[in-house]
Amino acid sequence: METEEIRSRGYWAETWLRFRRRKLAMLALGYVLFMGLVALFSPAIVGTKPVVCQYKGKIYFPCMGYFNARWENAIFFQDGIAQRYPVQLKEKDPESWAIYPLWYNDAMRRVVDDEMPGRPGNPSGDLGKPSWMNPFGTTFYGYDVAAIMIHGTRIALLVGFVSTGITAVIGIVLGAIAGYFGGWVDMLLSRLIELVMCIPTLVLILAFIAIVERPQIWHTMAIIGITGWPGIARLIRGEFIKLKQSEYVTAARALGTGQFRIIFRHILPNALSPVVVPISFGIAVAILIETGLSFLGIGASVSSASWGRVLSEGRANLSMWWLTFFPGLTIFLTVLAYNLIGEALQEATDPRLRGRE
Amino acid sequence: MFTYLFRRILIGCLTLFLITMIVYALVRNMPGTPITQLIVSDPSRQISPENMEMLNKIYGLDKPWYEAYWIWLGNILQGDLGDSFKEHENVAVVIGRRIGPTLLLSITSLLLTYSLAIPMGLFSVVRRGKPDERILSTLLYMLYSVPSFVVGIGLLIVFYQHLGWFPPGFQSDDYDTFSFWGKCGDIASHMVLPVVCYTYGALASLSRFVKANMEEVIRQDYIRTARAKGVSGFNVIVHHAFRNTLIPFVTMIGLTLPGLLSGSIILEQIFDWPGMGQLFYRCISDRDYPVIMGMMLMFSILTLLGQLLADILYAVVDPRVTYN
Repeated sequence: METEEIRSRGYWAETWLRFRRRKLAMLALGYVLFMGLVALFSPAIVGTKPVVCQYKGKIYFPCMGYFNARWENAIFFQDGIAQRYPVQLKEKDPESWAIYPLWYNDAMRRVVDDEMPGRPGNPSGDLGKPSWMNPFGTTFYGYDVAAIMIHGTRIALLVGFVSTGITAVIGIVLGAIAGYFGGWVDMLLSRLIELVMCIPTLVLILAFIAIVERPQIWHTMAIIGITGWPGIARLIRGEFIKLKQSEYVTAARALGTGQFRIIFRHILPNALSPVVVPISFGIAVAILIETGLSFLGIGASVSSASWGRVLSEGRANLSMWWLTFFPGLTIFLTVLAYNLIGEALQEATDPRLRGRE
Repeated sequence: MFTYLFRRILIGCLTLFLITMIVYALVRNMPGTPITQLIVSDPSRQISPENMEMLNKIYGLDKPWYEAYWIWLGNILQGDLGDSFKEHENVAVVIGRRIGPTLLLSITSLLLTYSLAIPMGLFSVVRRGKPDERILSTLLYMLYSVPSFVVGIGLLIVFYQHLGWFPPGFQSDDYDTFSFWGKCGDIASHMVLPVVCYTYGALASLSRFVKANMEEVIRQDYIRTARAKGVSGFNVIVHHAFRNTLIPFVTMIGLTLPGLLSGSIILEQIFDWPGMGQLFYRCISDRDYPVIMGMMLMFSILTLLGQLLADILYAVVDPRVTYN
């Protein structure tokens, strides 16, 4: 006779089950996943570089240039067609063919007349009201706002995840060390936590960014990451102080397990639950900080497509309401989504509410 | 209590020393000096290399940062914050000029926030789960997620661009010609939009804070006792329940202290408000070291004082807490 092993659900499976019950939170999760897809496929959704093309007998993917300028094949720069594919590909090689993104427009420059044969250029100045050709309107210099929003998704998501990832790693490692070892290590690290908490975040960020000669989006992410960790470090430290007294840690020590292994394999998985919520809220905060910085014109280089940059153009041109409305709405929805997820996680992991079915 | 205070102040001084040293090192290592930034902002004022060297010597920019830090620290201990490079005035004067506008905004919005958020929080506890409470909570929650700079620009578009009611800036151009009440009205009309921006976000978080604290208290036995005695619903909520949620408030007041004076860089930029945030942003890009350091010193002292104040008040209002 076969016996089936009955295992009770683990902590995370239980949390997921409770999380799934909240409709709004699932909607928010769906929105975040959707944004992820948009970010991943942004060069194929809107752009002026072919997704795939055959040129002089070879297949190329010039649209990868949107992810990283170096990924756009050098041959197109050598032949001088990097900006005007539709006309010049045919001129240089009549045999060539190309598949363009779903929608021909660009986030980094103005599309001009007949660039794509028969297509009028983007309006510039304050004439760029939302229209069929530019559903979210165009900026003062004729860049398409919808294209910037779609390509800006990459920055927003990357900033959210990378900088919060850095925050979490620094916070968890320092908090774990301080909590586990105690004594003078804890003394020093606690002072450090206090120190970083004392300096206003924006001040630290401004000072750090000013040091970098030519700031790129990676610098902004790193800086947001290394200024935001004290909160998480404190929580983890508290958990470690509590958990290091527990029997299973004593047992592990009695077995001769190394300290590194005790910290990261035995205690850490049990100490993670209180930081899930701050991490989720932290993503929203990081996105807000980045849009705020690019609104002020600090951080990523001017040419990169970023939500905050459209907003700062909206401040300079108050009559062009679409420059404020669409990015504002997008930022709002994104921040709301992360906040809803954080809230649902909070309730799903709250021990006072658990077990109440 | 005294030894506790003494220890805290000692540690605070050490922290202050470290913060100022780190920030000094950071700002002095930014590329550019106040003099090169001056040329960037006004290309007509070219300075010859010899003059540049002389200027660097006069302003002490030729020394490495650690030497300059000790000089700065020595001056601070004698009560001298130094002169601003840009405005050629004492830093205390420069900051003093900006503190008024910032305080005007932050105190107005603080009072407004508290006087709105507490009734809202109490309301949502009393009407828990009813449709009107759900609507209020959802609205507040959504407001909480709207970035203030988006709201700021949106308000400017509607109330300045289209309706022409509330202009940005601090005063009108012809401010000096107004009567006393005219001046008050002028500043008030400039204040409306920034105050709304400062208030709405805090409103959402504070009313949630009130609600969360109340929900814990309202389940206590003494609340049931009060109801059983026949105390009216209003009295139970305000006198029995709310008064017992005041302790967390006390800690919060301590922690809001530095925020009152720091202003918001982004909002002051949007509304062209001549406050601390704008000053800080300006002096970072001008590399105006003495002003940056003066402001940092002020914020750090206030943060540390706020934390200390919160801890002390905590012991005052809650007799279970002692620091002996």
